[in-house]
Amino acid sequence: MPPFDKTQVQSKPFKLRKSFATRKQEVAAIRSKFPNKIPVIIERYEREKYLPPLDKTKFLVPHELTMTQFVTIIRNRMALLPTQAFYLLISNSGLASMSLTMAQVYKDHQDEDGFLYMTYASQEMFGH
Amino acid sequence: MNSVSPSAVQYVGGVMQDELVESRRQQPLDGQGSFGLRPAEPAREANGEPDELDKLKSKLMTAWNNVKYGWTVKSKTSFNKISPVTVLGNSYLLNSEDEVERFRLAFVSRIWLTYRREFPQLDGSTLTTDCGWGCMLRSGQMLLVQGLLVHLMPRDWAWPDAQQLTDVDFEVFRPRSPVRAGGVPIPSFGSPRGSNTPEKSLASDQVARCSQKKRPEYIRDSQAETIHYKLVSWFGDQPPAPFGLHQLVEIGKSSGKKAGDWYGPSIVAHILRKAVAKTSVLHNLAVYVAQDCTVYKEDVVHLCDLSPSQTPPEPSRQAWKSVIILVPVRLGGEVLNPSYIECVKNILKLDCCIGIIGGKPKHSLYFVGFQDEQLLYLDPHYCQPLVDVSQVNFSLESFHCSSPKKMPFNRMDPSCTVGFYAKNKKDFESLCSAVSEALSSSKEKYPIFTFVEGKSQDFGLEGHSSNNSGPAAHILPPGQLGMSNNRRNSDEFVFL
Repeated sequence: MPPFDKTQVQSKPFKLRKSFATRKQEVAAIRSKFPNKIPVIIERYEREKYLPPLDKTKFLVPHELTMTQFVTIIRNRMALLPTQAFYLLISNSGLASMSLTMAQVYKDHQDEDGFLYMTYASQEMFGH
Repeated sequence: MNSVSPSAVQYVGGVMQDELVESRRQQPLDGQGSFGLRPAEPAREANGEPDELDKLKSKLMTAWNNVKYGWTVKSKTSFNKISPVTVLGNSYLLNSEDEVERFRLAFVSRIWLTYRREFPQLDGSTLTTDCGWGCMLRSGQMLLVQGLLVHLMPRDWAWPDAQQLTDVDFEVFRPRSPVRAGGVPIPSFGSPRGSNTPEKSLASDQVARCSQKKRPEYIRDSQAETIHYKLVSWFGDQPPAPFGLHQLVEIGKSSGKKAGDWYGPSIVAHILRKAVAKTSVLHNLAVYVAQDCTVYKEDVVHLCDLSPSQTPPEPSRQAWKSVIILVPVRLGGEVLNPSYIECVKNILKLDCCIGIIGGKPKHSLYFVGFQDEQLLYLDPHYCQPLVDVSQVNFSLESFHCSSPKKMPFNRMDPSCTVGFYAKNKKDFESLCSAVSEALSSSKEKYPIFTFVEGKSQDFGLEGHSSNNSGPAAHILPPGQLGMSNNRRNSDEFVFL
């Protein structure tokens, strides 16, 4: 059980947990085994208060999967309602068009280490 | 933070003197009628004294609330005379009196919904005000009421009694000049209509004269006036009002919100959708809220098209419902991604746009336009006393804002909801193409949202053979990857 507990408190982003060399090596290993899958890192926006943490950060995704399908999978993993705000930000700033395939997004936005980085966030609340 | 020294209170009283002028203006004493006066209130003493004391107390409370919740009384807003200001699809170059006048009517005719106090207790709480928490709901109300204005009123409708602009300067800016060129805080807020106080700028003096000259030319449209009153009354702070705060808070409960909570632009979009679906005052209007930054055109058609199967037998009813389309988005992580600014501007230039609800971080605003690198907004953070909208000819004055405010784009919170309106099918088609074009202007590679033919169901997981339901995705056993067995579980790849 201990390994599971650790996932909840992991606050360091993936990039800070592992060196560039390690990450690059990981991508190379997985890509050689599964050339038709894309390695994606999904992390919770550091200030996110409303969406639950995701139990996993590393995903292997088929090329032809659309962003819409991908978002639906992640939404389901978190058991979100359709009306709950959920956004995947690529490299922490831009939104990806939902009709794109993962291969298209990967082509444009893969990191130097070979992973595709995405952050998920809901919306901020306003009150003052 | 939790204690206020007497001197601080006095200071507040001091800077807020003009504010008090403003609230005095809103007291019934000046012959304006029922504003702020609830005739049925039993506690009112015949004796004048406690009444005066109450009034003073209430003025101080207003002043204090307005300081506390961020209404910036002192600052003037400077408008550039040499670049156009856009208000919901129309642009005005403020270098002539006529244009300033058109801008005034365009801005002041928007309906302004603010914090209110002393309204009937919200169900399930002891709150009688939304000061300090309800600003996003107020922004949402302003977005909806704008949609209803274009839905029910003539396109070029302007409020004949629109107040003169206050706290504005019109200047020639060079491209890099500071935001508020004046810098000197001259509190001229709330000078009574018609009498210009000396500290008013020359420019607004001219504006006032020119518009007074013109005023008699208006032909009062009594039908529009009736709708105007009716519209505002739908947003009254009383439980039966279909889009009043009481109703919205009630609807929000199903999304896990309660009175006193903070709301977000996406939740509010859904609350508005439900409120319109629930009410019996509007039959020919639907609200569509996009999910995951996608407007599925067939879903909109399904919502609006009443023709083949579901036409009710009434001949009066049109075969197509008008629609308000709300698109909740997130334009960046911590801050607004600057590459979206151009796109936001282009959206606000569109005729079909009814504004954007969002704000500065934690501070909700209703964006209605822009000039240069600044957004133009209506600010709900102004605590006003309840107006009893069930009274005949209640005062509309506190529902319109005479003081346009601006803020730089780069302070805009990335979380917002963009609103559009289409009257009929043809309108909807042109909306789709106009908005798509505006969206393609983004410097970011992908647009902030997209229109897609078809319905959302077609794009879900059904199309993806290996995954009929999300959780079916399995975790690859570590051994299969040839990785060491002592790796943490979370470090495995999830295989989709």
